[in-house]
Amino acid sequence: MISQLNSPSIYLICGIIIAFVAAVCVVFMVRAYRAGIAIGMDPAKLKRALTSSVTFSILPSIGILLGVIALSGSLGTPWPWLRLSVIGALHYETQVAQAAAEQVGLSSLSASAMTPRAFATIAFLMSVCIMWGMILSILFNKAYLKKLGGQKTKESSGKPGFGDSAMVAMFIGLVSTYIGSYIGGFVSGQGVLTFRGDLTPIIVAAVSALVMACFIYLSEKKHLVWLESFSIAGSMLVGMLAAILI
Amino acid sequence: MQDKTVLDTYNQKTHVIGRIASAITLIMLVGAPFLIGSILGAMPDLGAAAKGFLSVGLIWTISSVVEFLVYTPMLGAGGGYLAFITGNLINMKIPCAMNAREIAGTQSGTTENEIISTLSIAASSLTTIIVLALGVLLLVPLQPILQSETLQPAFANVVPALFGAMAYQYFRKNIKLACVPLVMMTLLFVFVPSLISSTSMMIIPSGAITIGLAYLIFRKKGSL
Repeated sequence: MISQLNSPSIYLICGIIIAFVAAVCVVFMVRAYRAGIAIGMDPAKLKRALTSSVTFSILPSIGILLGVIALSGSLGTPWPWLRLSVIGALHYETQVAQAAAEQVGLSSLSASAMTPRAFATIAFLMSVCIMWGMILSILFNKAYLKKLGGQKTKESSGKPGFGDSAMVAMFIGLVSTYIGSYIGGFVSGQGVLTFRGDLTPIIVAAVSALVMACFIYLSEKKHLVWLESFSIAGSMLVGMLAAILI
Repeated sequence: MQDKTVLDTYNQKTHVIGRIASAITLIMLVGAPFLIGSILGAMPDLGAAAKGFLSVGLIWTISSVVEFLVYTPMLGAGGGYLAFITGNLINMKIPCAMNAREIAGTQSGTTENEIISTLSIAASSLTTIIVLALGVLLLVPLQPILQSETLQPAFANVVPALFGAMAYQYFRKNIKLACVPLVMMTLLFVFVPSLISSTSMMIIPSGAITIGLAYLIFRKKGSL
């Protein structure tokens, strides 16, 4: 079964879809770059946004690649390659694949139990469960942004809007939630207030924050602005190394 | 004045291209299982898929709606379409776009920001596509290295590493404000550890409270 799932024709189907999405990204990138130049944005700024995004994405992408490897054992390589290149995230795909496997009567998500019908059903459910973001974008992106834009012009009476602060606050809330969950995992992961849970995520986060502090110090105080593009990836890498050392 | 016409055309076209690209991707993604099924000689079991949808799909549907409402304003039109086509929002696209915005120093809701986030999401998506394509190509020789026992802890901790770095970046903007959700969420997870498995859902109350507090600070000081 697994050799059927790894057959060239399935690679071809998945490859075509990925190539289409890559082409869409190129179109959006070129258009945005040209529009940026047309309204007089500094090309250096645009290029910095590009390089920083590429360096930022390399490490998480390797993590995603590991997800492909993790799923390839039961679903073959091409389908997880497509799912994780294009739309999904590993935690989502695994959860949905598991649920679909249960429904078609597989005892577990494994290559030995896989049947063509089970695979087709799992693949279908994976596609359906996460299509809403795209559907909502198709239907409402324009109207929603227009509505928000309308509010903005009403608010803008000389002062900077609350929008920026709201985004920063949203992010502070998001990061706090995750950091809180790591602390909670350590303190109560093995029973409330036992302090016997996993300490690694906290150490990794702390190391990574410390390295980030160094990066910010160097780029702001020592004027090494080019370092900014590597700050996130660099901090993450050192943080992840810490996980190996402890 | 010419800038405005350039921009209007740009925005109009972004929506047209975004909608068409999303629709085609959607059709291909939902169609692929049927096409693959016909090659393998079996069609998806729609009854089982429906049951599976009721068990896990509904949660993802709700979270998709929330994601759409929260992230679309952050990403703008172009970035929004692309991000929902290419996925991995919370662990990659959103931080990536915020980081690019930070570096370029643009304000949310402005055209500059729209352009920077579109560039950022497109570059990020292409990076993933290229890394994955190379990875799949090299999968056979690379597999032993990537799956080696020594490297596993590093890859298992890619998310904490990301949030640690971002914590420093964002907490320093207003450390007093950051203490509130941090202490609150820590206490919550310490005393209700079962919630750790649904951390992503807890982002919503935590974010809402932080935004609420930020608004009070903003009204008083005019900034964070």
